[in-house]
Amino acid sequence: MARFTEDKIKELLKEENFPVNDFYVAESVNDVKKYVNNLDFPIVLKALVPVGKKGKAGGVHFASNIDEAIEKAESLFVKIIRNYPVKKILLENKVDISKELYLSLTYDRIREAPLLIVSTKGGVDVEELGNIYEYSIDPVLGLNPFECRAAWIKSGVTGKLLITLGELTSKVYEFFVKYDAYLLEINPLAVTGNNELKIMGTLMGVDDVASFRQKKIVSGTEIGIERYWKPLTEREKKAIKVNESDPYRGTARYTEMPDGDIGFMCGGGGASLLLFDALIAAGGKPANYSEFGGNPTAEKVYGLCKVILSKPGVKGLFVAQNITNNTQVDLVAEGVVRAITDVDINPHKFPIVVREAGVNEEIARAIFNKYKIEYYSDEITLTEAAEKMVEKMKKVYGNGNSSK
Amino acid sequence: MAILLNKETKIVVQGITGREARMVSAYTLRYGTPILAGVTPGKGGDFVENVPVYDSLELALKNYPMINTSAIYVPPAFVYDAVMEAISNKIRLIFIATENVPQRDAVKFLTLAKKRDVKILGPNSVGIISPIYKMKIGAIGGDRVERCFVPGSIGVISRSGGMTAEVSFMIKKAGFGISTAVSIGGDQFIGLKPVDLLKLFEQDIETKAVVMFSEPGTNFEEKVAQFLSEKKFTKHLICFIAGKFTENLPEDTIFGHAGAMISKGIGKPSSKIKILREAGASVADKFDDIIYILKRLLERDNNGR
Repeated sequence: MARFTEDKIKELLKEENFPVNDFYVAESVNDVKKYVNNLDFPIVLKALVPVGKKGKAGGVHFASNIDEAIEKAESLFVKIIRNYPVKKILLENKVDISKELYLSLTYDRIREAPLLIVSTKGGVDVEELGNIYEYSIDPVLGLNPFECRAAWIKSGVTGKLLITLGELTSKVYEFFVKYDAYLLEINPLAVTGNNELKIMGTLMGVDDVASFRQKKIVSGTEIGIERYWKPLTEREKKAIKVNESDPYRGTARYTEMPDGDIGFMCGGGGASLLLFDALIAAGGKPANYSEFGGNPTAEKVYGLCKVILSKPGVKGLFVAQNITNNTQVDLVAEGVVRAITDVDINPHKFPIVVREAGVNEEIARAIFNKYKIEYYSDEITLTEAAEKMVEKMKKVYGNGNSSK
Repeated sequence: MAILLNKETKIVVQGITGREARMVSAYTLRYGTPILAGVTPGKGGDFVENVPVYDSLELALKNYPMINTSAIYVPPAFVYDAVMEAISNKIRLIFIATENVPQRDAVKFLTLAKKRDVKILGPNSVGIISPIYKMKIGAIGGDRVERCFVPGSIGVISRSGGMTAEVSFMIKKAGFGISTAVSIGGDQFIGLKPVDLLKLFEQDIETKAVVMFSEPGTNFEEKVAQFLSEKKFTKHLICFIAGKFTENLPEDTIFGHAGAMISKGIGKPSSKIKILREAGASVADKFDDIIYILKRLLERDNNGR
């Protein structure tokens, strides 16, 4: 799922006539010096990283003169916020705020419906919000202004503000739906001194699989970010490219572990989880998590396997998957063998265990046998395959080394 | 009896002219399951494996009014429309094979299905199989159905399509067979959930025990535990929960299926295991233990008789 940085969200909001301040994006301290001329002090400097809770992480600063702005910008550009180095800063005027509200839209996994959350005590992290009111939205009927007003009334809003808040909230929901967002947070939603609303802080994530109808906005975002907890490594980026190269035929995904020595080349959403657990239970240490399936082409399998083998410290390869319903395991064999021969691995010295059963497995068996790779079909279980892999690592590298 | 599929099941395939749908239809017919018609707008008059193709579901139903079940094989962008077409034409069971259906669409059609009391399986499901009746819908079983799915008295519920086959294979290894195996789909928002299926398995006289394969994420297992505690499911339930390692990694990261994500502390395998055990389910620590647990429980039943 693609998560956006605030400049991108505010640009979109502006296009749709939402109340957003003019802003500038600085990529260097020099940019900051240049742009402050167009702004009125005091100003806000915000780190542009695609994560929430920026305030608490020290990603939001205020400056009341140019020297202060430069000093704050210098400190931001060397910061890493929740694993993301700050490369860009958003600059805008500080608004005269009389009240800070909170508004968010997400999909509630338990209620299986869009969820509106409002609070009259915004401007702080979600966990510290007060006066929260939650409203479950019927996706078939949508979210009407009267429902929004009802939510704000329950959260404690009174007076004329209710009318503008109701309108705005209903429009924000339309925006959320239009752009296939799975998360849209406005915090703070500021009420200015003259009782106008202004969208200050924003966070938005868009459903990756809806990118076919969101072409306009998904460019320039990090796709697939929900499968990682840190910025992507070069190998992870390469794996995403492999996966995107043929979007209509199978999947191949790769997530790097901080350490480990077993290259993990496993298929099936469920089986890959089971196999990872089984390797650990047997005393092994996978160097990555992976998952392929949906009958990928040999090319895709090859691409994924090459990425897996390219991580430094990988000293063995575990290829396994559940008995397949539709994935052709001969194509898996073809791809894996091509990757292995490409990087010139000697299967006598480099531990490899394969457990691939299912469609066209006789061809797969022949391919693996030809290259003298230890191959099993369903004569062993998934757990047994994982145990054999760890045993083999221990045999080749000794006990201490393989479990390091 | 089995669940969901029975002698009265009559299938239409929406999107039958696609690559995957053609292959699956061929395997399904070969297994003995009747597919009466297919739908692909613009391809009316064609045939796929001798099955007539119509331009709309309405036209298919005019010729085959006994159709009550639909299999959807259209690309992600068209799934919403296909489900709406099926609901509007009063199809009672809709199976969605398509992966990568946008959340916005899924939540909307699932809400509507609930209002109309229509059963939806999936999205991102590999299907259902009831070997006793030679009935299957979806790719489940592939080209060699009997390798994993033989007739018997065990129900299977799996979050993972691939593991539906592997679990059934383990059951066969233990010397038993399948009443009905259901792949519920790996997405964040799906139709039929484990509790819905346990309700059906409880009423099914053919089913003696159920094996469930779970993954991180969701509160499905918590719901199952509650259902067990209320004594609403009285047969044996054997569970396995994969993905224990994901608990040691940062939250809100997806591993494998789109729905496999621990968030706000919800969906941890360790808590699922604990709560299921407390509710009386047998939880296998090691996947292979399913074999021994099944044998022990069912042999004890037989000896008691």
